[in-house]
Amino acid sequence: MALEQFSDVVQRCQTIQDENFSPVDFDLFQSAGKTCIEQGDGAQVLSIIIDDKNTNIVRCMGWNLLEPLVKVLLKKEDKNRPHCHAIFTHIIEVCSSKELVVGLLEQVEEAESDAIAEVIILLLRPLQTVLLKLGKKKSSSVGMALSTVLGQVAQLPVPLSKEQEEDDVFGLCRCCTALLDFIRPFVEEVKENIKHSRSVSRDDELKGEILKFCMKSLSEPLLEVQLKDPDTLEQSPLRDFATEILVILSSIGEPLPNLLCHNMLRKREVPGFLEEEVRYPKESLACLAHLLFVKHIAMDIFPAVLSPIFLLQCNMEYVELLLSRTEESWLQKGLELYEKSLVRVEDCSLPVDLLDLKPFFSVPQNLVKVMTLCPVQTVRTKGLSVFQLSIDKFTTEAKYKLFRCLLKTSEHAGVEGYIIKNIKNQIDLSLGPGNENEWFLGKHLLPLLHQVLRLPQGPETDLLHNLDRIMESLNLLRYLLIRDKEWENETGIWSELHKIEDSFLKPLRMGLNMSKAHYEAELKNAKENKKSSGTESKAAACTVTVENERLPNMTPEMQLQVLQSALFTFDLIESVLARIEEIAEAKGRV
Amino acid sequence: SCSVSRKNSNNNSCSFPVLSYLGIDVLVKKEGTGTELPMTGDKVFVHYVGTLLDGTQFDSSRDRGEKFSFELGKGQVIKAWDIGVATMRVGEICQLFCKPMYAYGAAGSPPKIPPNATLVFQVELFEFHGEDITEDEDGGIIRRIVTKGEGYTKPNEGASVEVHVEGNYEGCVFDDRDLKFEVGDGDSLDLPPGVEKALQAMEQGEEALFTIKPKYGFGNAGHAKFNIPPGATLQYKIKLTAFEKAKESWEMNTSEKLEQSVIVKEKGTQYFKDGKYKQAAVQYKRIVSWLEHESSLQGEEEEKAKALRLAAHLNLSMCYLKLQEPNPALENCDKALELDANNEKALFRRGEALFVMKEFDRAKDDFQNVIQLYPANKAAKSQVLLCQKHIKEQHEKDKRLYANMFQKFAERDAKVSASMCFLCSIVKCD
Repeated sequence: MALEQFSDVVQRCQTIQDENFSPVDFDLFQSAGKTCIEQGDGAQVLSIIIDDKNTNIVRCMGWNLLEPLVKVLLKKEDKNRPHCHAIFTHIIEVCSSKELVVGLLEQVEEAESDAIAEVIILLLRPLQTVLLKLGKKKSSSVGMALSTVLGQVAQLPVPLSKEQEEDDVFGLCRCCTALLDFIRPFVEEVKENIKHSRSVSRDDELKGEILKFCMKSLSEPLLEVQLKDPDTLEQSPLRDFATEILVILSSIGEPLPNLLCHNMLRKREVPGFLEEEVRYPKESLACLAHLLFVKHIAMDIFPAVLSPIFLLQCNMEYVELLLSRTEESWLQKGLELYEKSLVRVEDCSLPVDLLDLKPFFSVPQNLVKVMTLCPVQTVRTKGLSVFQLSIDKFTTEAKYKLFRCLLKTSEHAGVEGYIIKNIKNQIDLSLGPGNENEWFLGKHLLPLLHQVLRLPQGPETDLLHNLDRIMESLNLLRYLLIRDKEWENETGIWSELHKIEDSFLKPLRMGLNMSKAHYEAELKNAKENKKSSGTESKAAACTVTVENERLPNMTPEMQLQVLQSALFTFDLIESVLARIEEIAEAKGRV
Repeated sequence: SCSVSRKNSNNNSCSFPVLSYLGIDVLVKKEGTGTELPMTGDKVFVHYVGTLLDGTQFDSSRDRGEKFSFELGKGQVIKAWDIGVATMRVGEICQLFCKPMYAYGAAGSPPKIPPNATLVFQVELFEFHGEDITEDEDGGIIRRIVTKGEGYTKPNEGASVEVHVEGNYEGCVFDDRDLKFEVGDGDSLDLPPGVEKALQAMEQGEEALFTIKPKYGFGNAGHAKFNIPPGATLQYKIKLTAFEKAKESWEMNTSEKLEQSVIVKEKGTQYFKDGKYKQAAVQYKRIVSWLEHESSLQGEEEEKAKALRLAAHLNLSMCYLKLQEPNPALENCDKALELDANNEKALFRRGEALFVMKEFDRAKDDFQNVIQLYPANKAAKSQVLLCQKHIKEQHEKDKRLYANMFQKFAERDAKVSASMCFLCSIVKCD
């Protein structure tokens, strides 16, 4: 039935002059043809399609059969397939390129989510053939094709482990490889244009589309991908894809160092200059930096003459971007990029002026957030190690400024404690022969010490909450009193001791006594409650709040444990405090 | 600073001091044809091949097919290059022997360069030119640095700077002063816009020569006091002795922004009283840029910010009216009305702006709105009458115009039908 309809409409159209086919003709051709193909009459349709008498008809209407053809071609074992393949090939050859591009891209867009990879791999080659026929006008069509295909590829799940990459269940690797084959002739064309005109014009549209594609790929999927090293995975299509993207950029007149340092060398200080940000999105450049310096992709075409501090400056913006997000993959990449940039720089070489630049100022603060708030423990640990590495690279003056700034802004007792430990190390270094400086000795040290050796909320400071900071401050003070002899007083601590007593030691002693008394009373209560109500006690006699959050009601045993450990902590603080008071007293200063 | 040992191929020393143990040796293989040496900050273009001491090649710009370019003397490249390339002339080919301390030191440069590597570069210098510091890269301001500055920051708009300025036209010095001022004020000190742009590209302590095209100089007006004709390209030697940056928006917290906004508002008002509307506008715009996107303000701070923004927009609209720029005046009135829908000044000034733009109907609407809300406003009443007069005149004009048009059409139609008749009569005759 459908076959008759199909051959009828074709015969009727043979008589129509000047290709004045009506919409009805188009519709019938499409619906009848579709049904025939679906029914398995591929052979008959083929014979009609390739008949010379029908050339014009096929040229005008053939592309409407793409949908049913693609469906058949996707099914590997279908005896209809060879005929459909022949029809498909013929249509690609004779139909108008513009309509074919639209038709093919429609198929890509509408692919079912579990068939995306198959459709793309099937259609990229014919798409390429059609686009090449468009001649000089192909740029916008190429652009449209690239963005449609890449949009679909971006939906494919990214393989995480080496095994997943090898298995490539969802086809991302195969699509990336196919994309490289697809884009090759267009890249060659741009290279030819460059050779002939001796320079690249910004207005070269085809180059613009390829640039857009490369930038988009760098952000999706490459930013999410975790590339494996050659020792882990010898053959990696994803690594090849990343390498080729960078090589393409370099060959179309976008040298990698220019891209990397793009933001730095811009004259405009005004942030958010739209055109440039759209053309060179920061996320893509961040991925580029990571590929170069962490994965060493395409490093053989990257000049080996740039200075390490300059590279660090270029990369800081990308580190800032990557560390400002919460996705684990971004944070991991940000930390790796920061680390790899820092190790190239000599210890104690980053000058204090760098801290005037926004990224140098905000990255340490981002790091603090990562170290304290990120739920993934490996990321927090790495964050801490990169944090210390960054501190080590700054000059003494810069360390001083950084410490003072972070003590003010980090608002986390653990971080503050860590910084205070660093301060102690710096003072220790400065007291060594030949290391004198005016930052951790001399006139700048005292304001720093006063900033460190104090209780943030006086005697009401929550000692448990601020334990890390308090312990490190006490350790620092104890260290100073022992190391710096009273008669030398190199650090000036001895002349300041009475001030520190007032602002730190006395309130601490008072707070400690209050806390101990309070917890001891609670402990006594809890023990009595437990004794009187036996082992079937229900409601908690006391509630415990940690950081404004009430803990769920605990069993009496747990209560006892918590209270006990609080008391142990107070004992700990007290022992150091007592030692300090002892040393101070021994010098007759209390 | 470091001295460089330079030898030509015959191993004879050239004009630079010989201290080769310092770590950079320059062996000249082919003398250059140029006479000048590149200056700090110049963009230089080279080809190079880099090898390790054992001859292994690790990098080559020739293999990439593209010259390598960088800004000389700014720490963008390893120290050996900044120092060595500065001794080269155009057309010269030389070999740079770089000890690790002037190359990549103990860290090396993974993956290509191992730790503590001495590097050998064969470098050919093709060209160099002064740095174009204009935003659009139109060649309007070219810099040659005489003395490099220090630090990583540069003055921004509003920064206070201490400078020495020497202006030169065709060999004659027309301006030679020590100045202390805020970037943005240059106009009132007879400094062309190019000088202020130049300052924003300089580092502390830098001294540089700037070639400024008329677009960024005194333009087509020239400058009578200095005897500068129209369309003059100027040379300025500027030394930036010291500066203090004006705080950027992100550097300030909310209370600092509010504080600074109050200060800047007073500055703007002072400029306005002195008739310096452009400078006044610059100040008020700063308030807008600082406070525009401050979110999560509460209570007293929110009230203060709103009041400052309203004042800024109102004052900006007045500045633009004085500068005869009705479009931005209108925009600012609209913004003011977003904050305070019935604001008397905003409505009135919007009316004024629309009047200048000859939108008399809309202007009249605004003025009538003012009268309704603020009946005591006499100025609005007279403006309404003025608008009505103009509207009437406009109608008259339109009527005459259309009348003329119809007359013309009628005449033309008559002519056409006349000629048609004539033709017909010809055809008819036989």
